Amino acid sequence: MSQAQDTLSFEAILERIRKKLPIQNPLHSFVHNNILMMFEGQEFHDALSEAGKLYRANSYWSIEKYKAQFQQKKITEKDIIDGIDQYSLHYHDSSTAQKLGLSLKDFYYRLTFSEMAFNDDDIQPEIHDLNLWDKCAEKMSGQSLKLNQGAIKYRAKEYWEKYYNESISSTTHPYIINLISSFLDQGQSFWANPYSEKGFWDFFCQDVDIVQNFGADWQKILGQKLQAFKGHTPQEIIESELSMMNIPREAWESYLLDVLFDLKGWSGMVNKLETEPWQATVKAPNIKLIDFIASLVLIESSLDDFHASAHSTDLAMIYGRQEETTLRGFQLSLALYQITKEFKLDSSWLDGLDASELVLIIKDIDAAEKEHHVRLWHEAFESHFYREAMSAIISHDRGHATFLNPQAQVLFCIDDREESIRRHLEEVNPLIKTFGVVGFFGIDMKFSSVKHKRLIAQCPPVIQASRIVREISRDTKKGQSFTRFNHLLGGSDLSLYYMSRTLFRGFLSTLVLGVLSIFPMFLQVFFPNQSKGFREKFKRLLSPAPATEMDILQTTEGQGYTKIEMAKIVEAILGMCGIKTEFAKLVFLMGHGSSSNNNPFKQAYGCGACGGNAGLPNSRAFAKMVNDKEVRSHLAEAGILIPDETYFVAGFHDTCTDEVQFFDLEVMPEGYEEDFERIKGDLNKACKLNAFERCQRFSSVEAKEDPDIALKHVRERAEDLAQPRPEYGHSNNALAIVGLRDMTKGLFLNRRSFLLTYDWKIDPEGEILKQVVLGGVPVAVNINMDYYFSCVDNDKYGCGSKLPLNLTSLLGVMTGSSSDLRIGLARQMIEIHEPIRNMTIVEAPLERVKKIFDGHPRLKNILYNHWMRLAVFDPEAQIWYMFKEHAFQQIAVEKSMIKHFKSSKDLVHLSVTDNDFAEID
Amino acid sequence: MEYLFLSLLLIPFAWICFLGLSFFARINFPENFLSESVKWISIVVSLISLSLAALVLMNRSQPVHFDYPAWIQIGEYEFKIRFLVDLVGATYALLTALLIGIIFRFSRSYLHKEEGYFRFIFLLSALMLGLMLVSFARSLDLIFAGWEMVGTTSVLLIGYFYNQVQPVRHSVKAIISYRFCDMGILAAAAWAHHYMHTTDFTVLPKLLEDPHILEAGHGGPVALTFIGLFVIWASLAKSGQLPFSSWLPAAMEGPTPSSAIFYGALSVHLGPFLLLRFYDYFVHFPLLLWVIGIVGGLSAIYASAVGRTRSDAKTMLAYATISQVGIIWIEIALGFTQFALFHMVAHASLRTWQFLRCSSLIQDFFENPVVQQNEKIHRNLSFEKFVSKPMRRRIFIHALHGFHLDFFTQKVLDIFSWPLKVYIEFEKKWMSMNNNVVKFILKKR
Repeated sequence: MSQAQDTLSFEAILERIRKKLPIQNPLHSFVHNNILMMFEGQEFHDALSEAGKLYRANSYWSIEKYKAQFQQKKITEKDIIDGIDQYSLHYHDSSTAQKLGLSLKDFYYRLTFSEMAFNDDDIQPEIHDLNLWDKCAEKMSGQSLKLNQGAIKYRAKEYWEKYYNESISSTTHPYIINLISSFLDQGQSFWANPYSEKGFWDFFCQDVDIVQNFGADWQKILGQKLQAFKGHTPQEIIESELSMMNIPREAWESYLLDVLFDLKGWSGMVNKLETEPWQATVKAPNIKLIDFIASLVLIESSLDDFHASAHSTDLAMIYGRQEETTLRGFQLSLALYQITKEFKLDSSWLDGLDASELVLIIKDIDAAEKEHHVRLWHEAFESHFYREAMSAIISHDRGHATFLNPQAQVLFCIDDREESIRRHLEEVNPLIKTFGVVGFFGIDMKFSSVKHKRLIAQCPPVIQASRIVREISRDTKKGQSFTRFNHLLGGSDLSLYYMSRTLFRGFLSTLVLGVLSIFPMFLQVFFPNQSKGFREKFKRLLSPAPATEMDILQTTEGQGYTKIEMAKIVEAILGMCGIKTEFAKLVFLMGHGSSSNNNPFKQAYGCGACGGNAGLPNSRAFAKMVNDKEVRSHLAEAGILIPDETYFVAGFHDTCTDEVQFFDLEVMPEGYEEDFERIKGDLNKACKLNAFERCQRFSSVEAKEDPDIALKHVRERAEDLAQPRPEYGHSNNALAIVGLRDMTKGLFLNRRSFLLTYDWKIDPEGEILKQVVLGGVPVAVNINMDYYFSCVDNDKYGCGSKLPLNLTSLLGVMTGSSSDLRIGLARQMIEIHEPIRNMTIVEAPLERVKKIFDGHPRLKNILYNHWMRLAVFDPEAQIWYMFKEHAFQQIAVEKSMIKHFKSSKDLVHLSVTDNDFAEID
Repeated sequence: MEYLFLSLLLIPFAWICFLGLSFFARINFPENFLSESVKWISIVVSLISLSLAALVLMNRSQPVHFDYPAWIQIGEYEFKIRFLVDLVGATYALLTALLIGIIFRFSRSYLHKEEGYFRFIFLLSALMLGLMLVSFARSLDLIFAGWEMVGTTSVLLIGYFYNQVQPVRHSVKAIISYRFCDMGILAAAAWAHHYMHTTDFTVLPKLLEDPHILEAGHGGPVALTFIGLFVIWASLAKSGQLPFSSWLPAAMEGPTPSSAIFYGALSVHLGPFLLLRFYDYFVHFPLLLWVIGIVGGLSAIYASAVGRTRSDAKTMLAYATISQVGIIWIEIALGFTQFALFHMVAHASLRTWQFLRCSSLIQDFFENPVVQQNEKIHRNLSFEKFVSKPMRRRIFIHALHGFHLDFFTQKVLDIFSWPLKVYIEFEKKWMSMNNNVVKFILKKR
């Protein structure tokens, strides 16, 4: 008894509600997340059903889209069978199938190709088989079936919408959005909300107090209600309102969630700022979720009162009403006819069953159709890709990967976008070895640059940044004047922003700036590339950027690292790469980031392992650590012998402009210039080819033909103010491959795979594997799921088109002048994505992998509940295992006829979308 | 010169006809063709309007008149096609050409792969034609034609995403405001035709110098003042001045470039443009200048007060625009017409730029070294300082709700709509009475 009461206590309900709200950060610190992270405790498909109801969204592509793939042979008959095999492992209730006299798999198979609609007047099948029709009609005469029986609706909203065409989104939403966006504002408006100290509830009460005299009728009712509740806490108000609506306590959670999900973005943001105030852009406002709920509930009940009196309706009848659909004899006969035809049954199956049994069968099949149909298609679609991926990996010839004494070693991030540049680099210079490690290089720091002193966490969001590292100028004086200049510039930018929008100062600044603004506008719209050059030249002229270095050495607690700690960090990263002694003369560390202009989602293109920021500070800090003599001597003790002539270079790859930059070259000792220039040349060539590959997805015709133009084109995209697609980001990511580069070198993966370097031979304990998997796989799954949801229903899980977006409160975006705060990714970011759950392929002995996944709660959750797929290739036994329904099962992977091409360039040029996998000779 | 300005009208006209006809012929142009075409059109139009403006300047601001044969002739009335090329018109045409050129280029990547690209290009081209017509028209009749084109394209672009509720709702709001004020132009034209037999704004002020016109037989000062008031009324909605200010912030539903060109630049400045055209007329009636100044001043104060509480990029810019346009109205009222023209050009460019860049705000703020984590951004209060703190808080709430402009508008509308309401009540009663009669009859049976 007491336990039941506990789960129904208001606090418990509120806690559960919090867990289901969207979890997106403010846009300035956007990180890719599984937006349904809180649902990971449930099986994937079940979670999607539940979330789909909350978000009012489709959780898969439409069936037509899958069928189109089937037409194009991207889903084959075999894939459908594979998908059913996989699916029926978990959904193995065969009672419905038995009633039709079918096996479960057969039932699923026939269901996949069926087209049925039992309760849709628009789609009625043509009757060809009159005998059957007569039989069905005879059986079903006088029968009836109630669908969605027992579903009680407590919200009046749908009732007003359905019968009176009154929508709350156009009456109450503009009002509450106005309040909440003003209250949460982080500094976009000139006049800061003066109620911010006392909290949202106070603001709401004051506002209603004033507005009731000038507002619509429902606002007057709201004012009276609030007056009556004077002195009560928000919780008491919610409780009394909900009791007044006769909603049983068990249904409170779903009722409140439904109310909150009308404005899911704002609700999620309120919750975020309350529970994680440090995520605020500037300062978290004094707001509690419960205040927001109370205001929404009050507004809703006032509107209900108003509608009830306007339409003379009894509210008691609307709250807790039951809405059922009843299928009658004719519809049931149609249903029976469809079942017989679509499941290709002989009409004799009807004989043995009496009418009431048949009605139940119709009910079951209706439910099965709604639940399983689209999922089966989705599983088939995924199966196709998984099978191709695995067979490509075993068909791939690993011969040309092994060689000693590389000219250089280049460490890239594991990011799927770096797959292509690694491939190109190895093609340009086969004597270069590349590696994939997490892009923050194991350095969990908060970083501040000389330009601005604000600390930015440069590590994955799951890790708490432990140290502060600053960029300092080598010449203190120059650095100070640079900082001062930038502060001045920033200050004037900011005051211009506010000033140009006010009255008198706006008048002055309009006169001064107005005519001048036509020049930068003209330049930036027509000549984006040159305008960037101008701007930078101008800034350099005014105040040249000083030469800087990273201040990594520990001075005080929480600032910098000790030499021993540095050695640990370096050891871990080099261990992941599997390099112990065989160092090349030059080792490059390539952090990555992405530049784009006029883009609220810039953070989504950055390095996921660096919290969406550019990975540049990390590569610089890492290079400084590993070049240190003392650190190297500590490393030698751990068995990592870095020769004295090996030098580590900090570099940076811009995934949008395909530029590479190198840093701290002024401290590079002599004797490296020639080698450095050569590798730099190779990297630049690889960048050009990479740009060329990426341009095949864009529409510029010339860029598809010529790598030089392609490079120019991608640089223009980054600077173009009007460009909603600076790059396609992680579109189409679907794989994460853990293993040595031998596994994939020379294999074209079409930028679809995260590549994590791991050498199973040197890691008998599995400690390194643990670091690799924990550092990379959750990030890959997060990114994958973010793209998945934004792709399957861009309007509900994502944020719709970029075109009418309107930045608000420095927190997020609205569509048009006033709307819910949008979550997820924009349509232009995901338009070429294919929703496929991440498959991780690990090359390591099975036991090691098992141990890691079982030992980590979140990984175990997402694996066991099918939010990702896991395949393991055991190199000792040469056996493939696939994780299926709580166990690894040995599977046979067939070699496939993989296409061969001379170079990646030829391949992408000939057929970029046709091949996900191919061999480069 | 004649050819230059005629080509400014004919090029967009021919282009629109071409697009329209090919639409009916069901020809689907590839995106590339459209964007290349408008690129060349905007280059040509910009060059022509540039040279036209240069010619006008060399002409030492002597306006040049062009008269064409009447289009329609009904009794004494002639719909005369008369144009005027002067500094104001040439400047506005040049501004139009340049800004639309920028917007066309911007939309090329911004609306790439967009379903409505054709629609967007078509509407912007129609806007160009409408604005050119307004720029050079010499009579109210002809201005009205261009005026309507601008209004219609504006409404259709607010509803660009016509499959969503809110854009459609807000475009209806805009069209109601437009229509209401378009009556002003029509009324002004009708009265001017009636009393002065012309709507040519270069002729009207000259007529006023004739002492006979002020006599009662010709309408007298009251009627002539009313013509001026109608013109002011007509200018209200387009430039979002009080009491027609609330549709403009709500109009930010279309793609960003269309918001920029209409509500940051060209459409909102049509109000002051019309006032400039009639300035010589207004001068004769100080009352009208007072009205212009007061409306402008009130709007400027109102919009700046509301605007400073807005926390989203686009409606904030909309209010900022209204307040600057209010100042331009004051400038006109004070007689600084050249200055007002300069202010218009400067303001239009600045707002276009700000609208186009309004998605950069998060980047701008976050990369700004002054904006620190955990530190309130320093915002200077200005007017607010003059009132006490509790008062300030109350004013904030009023400002946040736009000083309840919609509420008061509704009240005014209610005054007009009461006959309808009475009728509805009457009908309801009538129906129920009938019902009772029917029931009564049924019972009898």
